[in-house]
Parts: sequence; C-alpha cells; structure tokens
Amino acid sequence: MSDMDDDMSDIGGEDAFEGEFQGDDLELDLLEEELRRATAILDPVPPELRQIAVEAFALHDLDAQIAELTFDSVVDAIPVRGAVDVPRMLTFHAGGVTVDVELSARGLMGQVLPPQTAGVEVLSGPVSGSPLETDSMGRFTYGEPPAGPFALRLRTGEGVLVTDWLTA
Amino acid sequence: MDRADVGALVQSAVDGDAAAWKALVEGLSPLVWSVVRSHRLSEADAHEVYQTAWFRFAQHLGRIREPEKAGAWLASTARHECLKVLKSLRRLTPTDDPQLLDRISEDRTPEQSFLDLEEAAAQSERIRHLWQEFEELGERCRQLLRVLMATPPPSYQEVSAALGIAVGSIGPLRQRCLRRLRARLEARGAV
Repeated sequence: MSDMDDDMSDIGGEDAFEGEFQGDDLELDLLEEELRRATAILDPVPPELRQIAVEAFALHDLDAQIAELTFDSVVDAIPVRGAVDVPRMLTFHAGGVTVDVELSARGLMGQVLPPQTAGVEVLSGPVSGSPLETDSMGRFTYGEPPAGPFALRLRTGEGVLVTDWLTA
Repeated sequence: MDRADVGALVQSAVDGDAAAWKALVEGLSPLVWSVVRSHRLSEADAHEVYQTAWFRFAQHLGRIREPEKAGAWLASTARHECLKVLKSLRRLTPTDDPQLLDRISEDRTPEQSFLDLEEAAAQSERIRHLWQEFEELGERCRQLLRVLMATPPPSYQEVSAALGIAVGSIGPLRQRCLRRLRARLEARGAV
C-alpha cells in the first residue's frame, strides 16, 4: 500500500516536538474523545446488525465439526487477465472429508470427497437453510447465489460438519 | 471492554448463557463496525462482513484459545474479510478506479443522520466540521482513527489486529494523526 506510506512521510518531522508539552497530550485525548462522540452520532452500529449478531448465538454448536477453508480462489489463485464472471472456487477440510464448492452467479455447485451420499444445508444466518442431498457421487447443486454470508452444514459418514462462514 | 470481563463472558457464552453473549455483542459490536468502516467498503459489503465476523465468532466460540482476546479475534476476522472483499472487487471490476471502492451509503449518509438531530444544533456545527476534516485526512490516519473511535475505546492489541500494524506503532501514529486533525480544524478556524 504505497499510498499509505506517502501519507505519513510528510508529517514525520513532528517527532521532534513529542513530549514537549504535557498539556498537548491532554488536548489530544480530548480531541479523540470528541471524535468518538461524533462517531457514535454519525456512524453508529446499525441496530438491525446488532440484532443479527445477538441472534447469531444460535450458531454456537459444539457438536458440529468445523470444516476449515483451505483454498479460496479470491486469495490463493492467480487472476486471469480479462476474464470476467469467473466462478469462485472454495475448498474446505474436516477430518478425512473434503468439500469443493464452486460459487457463481448461478448458485453453488459442490462435491463431497470421498464420494458419498450426504445431507447438505445452505445456511445464510441463524435460521436453518434449505435441505439438499448429494447424489451417490457426492455432488450437489444449489441454484441460487447466496445473498449474504453463507456456510454449509453437511451430514456425512463422519458426522456433522459446518464450513467456515464466508462473505459471498 | 475490559479483557478480564471479555474472557469471563466468552466462558459463560460457551456454557450457553445467552445474556453473556448479548453483553459481548453490546461491548464488541462497535469495534467490529469500526474495523469494517475503516476499510471503506460499500454499504452492502460492510453489512455482510460485519455479519460474517459475528457468525464466525459464534461458530468458533468454544474453540477460541485465548477468550480474553476475543476482541482482537473479531477485529482480525473482520479485517481479513474486508481485505478479501476489496480483493475480489478489484478483480471483478474492469478498472482500478478507486472511486468504486469508495461508494457512500445510498440510504442514510452521515450528513442525513446528522440532520435528524436538530436538537443538537448548538454542537452540530462543530461535530460536522470535525467529521468533515476527519473524512479528509489521509487514508492511513482516517483508518487508524476510525478504529480508535469505537465505544468503548479498543485496546491497542485490538487495534493492532484490526489494521495489521504493530502495537508499538499505534501510540505515535495516533498522536500524529490527532495533531494533524487538530491542525486542519485550526486552519478552518473551527477550534
């Protein structure tokens, strides 16, 4: 982030004055406090978001194993120049189970490995999602792109797995 | 939020205490929101990332190794999701136009929220100037101050997790940025 470095370079000279006036520290504390009050008025946490976070307690589930995100094409893949509307590829791991997911404007396509019949639920929040089932090869399709944060809950031969939550 | 309190509340929430969870949300929501806001996402993306951070926190609740550092955990999670969203935007948009990353809320701008508070007229001018000058600070200062502005004030450890900068650099940066803000206010004669 080169623009950030530039941003700070021209005020480095103020260092010489640091600690010169104790009153200065107090004045800056007051300015910070004033800015904090302004922020609380002008840019508070939206109440509906606070409520969603309160309700998210229902997602607390110690019995489910977490399938960790181990690959995300947004971070781990080299972008193809000029390619538009490329599906996002995600891989999750838990124990011996791997879940590959392809996320596009058309929805989700997934593959559970090793291939097996598994129950799949697409979660979009604390309320339960629509139940799906993989075919005998472990494949599943969900024809709606997630409109917000999402996770998958899977009932597999290894028990219940929930993937890490992602921002769609 | 006091770290000892946070640790105890996390423990109670793990044991199923919904009131403890609610207290965590009350105490740490402004921090999560500040981290999201400091990254200049669109309104919709900001809302999504805030939710993702809390959903992940609920999911990982019983597995967090240092419960007293839950604030830093949330701040770091929110930061990583913000960076991911910014990265995927850059890839999907045909230009690198920074204006695209700088969209302002379509429904309620800070200015409008402000107009709702007519009774605060005496203080309003000062607050508006303060906010304007804050918004026009360089990106790094604006980002640091936006995280520091959470209520209750975040610990430096939380700020470090929120911005990916060393704890030791936060104090000096804070001073410089606040001085810079003060100088801008003085320049417009608003002190």
